Amino acid sequence: MISTFLKFKQYVATVIIVGSLGSCSSDDYNDTLNPGLDPGSRWITVAGARMGENPGDGNGGTLIYSVTKEQAKDPSVSIAPFDNGFIVPSNRTARLQSSEDGNTIFNISYAGDTGGNYTKYTVNGGQGFMSTGSEISIAPYVGTAPRWIKLFDGDQTGAAVYVSTENEFDANGDYVRTDATIGVVTLDLQNSIINSFEEHSVALTAQEEAAGYYISRIDMPVLNAAGDKLYIGARLSKVNPATAEGDSDYPILGSKTIVLDYPSLLNPTVISSTIGHGNTNGYRSINAFLYNGSVYQANQSDPEGSHILKIDANNEYDSTYDFNLDEALGVNDAYILAWRPAGNGKAVIAYRHAGSVEGAAGAQGFFAIADLNTRTAQKIDAIPYHPDFYLFQYQGFVVDGTDIYVTQAPVGQNGNIYIIDTETGNVTKGAELINVEGSHFIGTF
Amino acid sequence: MKYFLFLVFIFLSISMYAQEDTVTFTGNILDESHQPIFGAVVIFDNYDQIATSDEDGVFVIEDIPVGTYSIKISYIGYKTVSKTIEINENSTAQNTSFKFIMSESVEGLDEVHIAGKSHKRNVEERGFAVNLIETKEASFRNIQTNELLNTSVGVKIRQNGGLGSEVTYSLNGLSGSSIRIFIDGIPISSYGSSFSLNSIPTSMIKNIEVYKGVVPGYLSDDALGGAINIVLHKKATNSLNASVSYGSFNTTQSNFNGNYRFKNSGFTIKGSAFYNYSDNDYKVSGRSVVVTGIGGVQTPITARRFNDAYRSTGGIFQVGYTNVKWADQFLVGFTASDDYKEVQHGAFMTITPYKDRFLESDALLANVIYQKKDLLTKGLNLNFNALYGARNRSINDTVAWAYSWNGERAIDFRGDEYQYTWGSQQEGGPTLAKIKRNVASVRTGLSFTINHHHKILFNHIYNRIDREDSDALKSVLENTFQGTRDLYKNIYAMTYEMSAFQERFKASIFGKHYRQKTTSTDPEIVEDSNGSDVVVDEVVSSKNNFEGYGFATSYAITPDFTLLTSAEKAIRLPNETEVFGNDGDNVVANSSIRPEISDNYNLGFRFGEFKINKHAFTISTNMFIRNIKDRIGLPIETSLNVDDELIVYVNQGNAKSKGIDAQLNYTYKNNFRFNFNISRFDLTTTTASGTEFEIPNTPFLTMNSGLSYSLKNVIQKESHLNLFYSIYFTDDFSYLTSQGANTVGDDFFKVPEQFVQDLGLSYVFPNKKLVVSLDVKNIFNRPVYDNLSVQKSGRAFYFKLNYSINNF
Repeated sequence: MISTFLKFKQYVATVIIVGSLGSCSSDDYNDTLNPGLDPGSRWITVAGARMGENPGDGNGGTLIYSVTKEQAKDPSVSIAPFDNGFIVPSNRTARLQSSEDGNTIFNISYAGDTGGNYTKYTVNGGQGFMSTGSEISIAPYVGTAPRWIKLFDGDQTGAAVYVSTENEFDANGDYVRTDATIGVVTLDLQNSIINSFEEHSVALTAQEEAAGYYISRIDMPVLNAAGDKLYIGARLSKVNPATAEGDSDYPILGSKTIVLDYPSLLNPTVISSTIGHGNTNGYRSINAFLYNGSVYQANQSDPEGSHILKIDANNEYDSTYDFNLDEALGVNDAYILAWRPAGNGKAVIAYRHAGSVEGAAGAQGFFAIADLNTRTAQKIDAIPYHPDFYLFQYQGFVVDGTDIYVTQAPVGQNGNIYIIDTETGNVTKGAELINVEGSHFIGTF
Repeated sequence: MKYFLFLVFIFLSISMYAQEDTVTFTGNILDESHQPIFGAVVIFDNYDQIATSDEDGVFVIEDIPVGTYSIKISYIGYKTVSKTIEINENSTAQNTSFKFIMSESVEGLDEVHIAGKSHKRNVEERGFAVNLIETKEASFRNIQTNELLNTSVGVKIRQNGGLGSEVTYSLNGLSGSSIRIFIDGIPISSYGSSFSLNSIPTSMIKNIEVYKGVVPGYLSDDALGGAINIVLHKKATNSLNASVSYGSFNTTQSNFNGNYRFKNSGFTIKGSAFYNYSDNDYKVSGRSVVVTGIGGVQTPITARRFNDAYRSTGGIFQVGYTNVKWADQFLVGFTASDDYKEVQHGAFMTITPYKDRFLESDALLANVIYQKKDLLTKGLNLNFNALYGARNRSINDTVAWAYSWNGERAIDFRGDEYQYTWGSQQEGGPTLAKIKRNVASVRTGLSFTINHHHKILFNHIYNRIDREDSDALKSVLENTFQGTRDLYKNIYAMTYEMSAFQERFKASIFGKHYRQKTTSTDPEIVEDSNGSDVVVDEVVSSKNNFEGYGFATSYAITPDFTLLTSAEKAIRLPNETEVFGNDGDNVVANSSIRPEISDNYNLGFRFGEFKINKHAFTISTNMFIRNIKDRIGLPIETSLNVDDELIVYVNQGNAKSKGIDAQLNYTYKNNFRFNFNISRFDLTTTTASGTEFEIPNTPFLTMNSGLSYSLKNVIQKESHLNLFYSIYFTDDFSYLTSQGANTVGDDFFKVPEQFVQDLGLSYVFPNKKLVVSLDVKNIFNRPVYDNLSVQKSGRAFYFKLNYSINNF
């Protein structure tokens, strides 16, 4: 009896051991592409977003892979982050940032059990990303799905924001306004500690509030030239005051930005543009940049097409600076998906417009080169635009002097890195990007 | 070893029904000590009919014409009893009893060739891919209903924490709303979460039927991937049973079941009650279990869960008549239940555990049951079950203070205690949301047996849920304009069952007609004829009618080798949120949304019971395919809809699950048992260009095994000691889509392999009234994760006392 018992125990154990061995996989892959860095070179980290269930959804993981500048420029080099890359630990598409020199990647995990965790990685080339610094989380301040961005202060600070809203009623039960409470946290990227956190109730004008307008989403903090104010982009929504239910088809107000003292994060005010109408909170890519003493900010969902708006050193919108992309490009319903200026005031803009083809994952995207000073823009024709080329989730542009590096690949198809010399407008085709089905590239870092 | 003599008392009651010359013959099989014998096989009139005794020792043989019959009763370990009985029109006097004496012998053991089939085997050989889970043994032990289900082949339970926490059921890879759960054929959505598999003790349950992929007509609902039916006890004999269990994490589970039937009148009183409580304060650790200090510096800790307590109470009370001339069962009664569950975290364990967020639910339902065999004419059986009442559910989350995993107020980077910006524990703001539902469910089953080989069944279920939402933290205005959603379902099923070739071939063919009506009522402001604003309800209805069909067949190649195959075109109707959207989530109506459709196929065999000397084996296996189209989901975010205030549910995906379930049962003599089962499947989705992708977050390989051994006469004579050992294995799986061959960083997304071992013993005292059991779960204190990286409890101890009296 006992021996029978033991035999069965062994049998079960064997079955289970065999089963578990079968499921193990060994990934003893070593970098084959880790040449080290020559003086004058830098790392270019390519990021891709793998398909989850639908082409272009990017929900199957964010993968990164680094090559040298020279390799990135070499069309004979092939880069395959989906096969060989490092999976960034983030439950949903990571919002990546990189140091200005490209040697460090910063990430804050988006959603999941570690949502809000900040980690930085030293770039070692290929799939080698070494985690450095201690673990820290901004989830207690801005939730587990934080909207964060790196400030342009020499890679010192990251800022993340949160807004929660609540409808307010008077003693008779009538709608008064919708309160928007914002939370802003800044963190020391170098030392992995929280710098500051403040909360404020942010009001619109009494008239706007009475009509039911409120700030429903905020994102894309940026510092002014003096470094004493932080601008935060905003999206407005509206409730119907009669029912307190969400409204649709309402007049779009002038674009708005929340202005806070920095680094104290106190004294919030709201500034409003008379030029652009639409949201200034962007999506996943930095939406506002400092150039020549002013902050240039793109807006989205503008009924007249996206504008690039200018906020001057006096921390007010410049009502004389009118840079409308529809006019500059001669298209309708231009929508800036992502953009980046170089230090010369020339910028690369990823956009779509009314003429975009509806591709595998949404509207076809294009790149344009723009000049912030002359308020002009031209579509870059040297880059191919397949109907499935889609830039909605596009995040990263490497700026190396006056060169800007972008990724180009239709959803599920191979493509290339392209290097745009913003000074001359010359476009160079760089390394090949190897894609996998349903996936897309989201930029360079 | 010395032989023991057992006396078996068989009380046979013969009752005459309305028909002229057939009777229904009911017997009660008991052993020497008046304990019922469960599973004894009764062979009536040289295999004309076969019955098995239930846990009360009761068997029923129907439709016997007046005459003289032979009856043979056998049970392993007891000597077969043979008897000739004369049934004439004068033997209508109820409760005529016969007394048999039989003795156990070694020869007796060898002699028993069970020609009859157990209820379990009968169900499992009808052709469906079905598990029949018997609860008898578990009811004496510290085993919860969900745990019992989880060990059944092809079933995976994913629970978000300890006792009472949210559960998702998965059958062969399909889960969530694809799986419908019933209590006695009534959809569990009518009962609410307070009367659920979390709270109902196993001792209230007779058995659990798990139909995988193909669901018979009598379980009428839009079950895309299968159904789980909890069959509650229908005993009509006098019995009293009580148990109390206490163990780790301050877990108490107690219940009481009582039945009393007045022999002369048939008047029956039945009552069951349960009470469950657990602190669920088991230890957890891991990457998100940290305490945050000044500057945000994190220190990992091992923490006790501090906001996870669960309490549930409930019961059923019924009165009526059983086994009387005009009804086999006529019972009216009510079901009442109430529960409270603290919520420690959301779908994931994050660094911000919740404090004082809790859910409450209660239900009060009236019910009527009527069952009658041979109604009006011979072979016509009626089964009617109706339920009406209200159930409520509330969410309470009003504490803004942040708490740390050590259970104390958390400090921010400055070292101060702080409140969340969103004013509540879960992001989204404070809430006192209440959902009130009025429910009605009426289930009718009518079957007509034409002869031994042909049977027609008609089933109908009407299910209605009126839903009303409110939130005490919202203004009158907001609550006024809160919409309501009602759901009405009428499902009709017609089944034809047949058998041929001396019962070797069995088939059932069924068609189901689904009619669903959803109604949304949204108050809105309109101008009346005088030009002033008035609030009117905008009522919109949507109707969906669909058909499904399927079959199940079995063919016994030899008496011990049966081929089973079944298939169904199954559907899941879009629910009220998918049709009408949800104001809170800015989801709007899509009246053209179609149901999810799945073509389900099963092919399997059952081999056994195969015997070599004292060894007996049963092997069964099932291969399955589930092909799902038109999956309902929200569209992906694009630049065109990112700022849209409103989105709609759409039919956008497909999925395929294919795999195999297999199980082995082995017994040696009658006291050693071993079982093993394995379930392996692939759950994939196919892209427009035809590539298959694995759907992540799916535990695709599970194995369970159990050993039990029973000893007699330990410590005291005529006592029984049962020893149990179980192992559960779940292979590792990732909650991220599978990645390229050479990628790194996959480990972050992996739920590690799980291997848990439990030990248990139960001791039956010689009087057979008292059973004591002790269970040690997860004896090696291994980390267990049912769901994502949510950790379950480590080693735990439970002690249980059962007391039962039968036939007083």
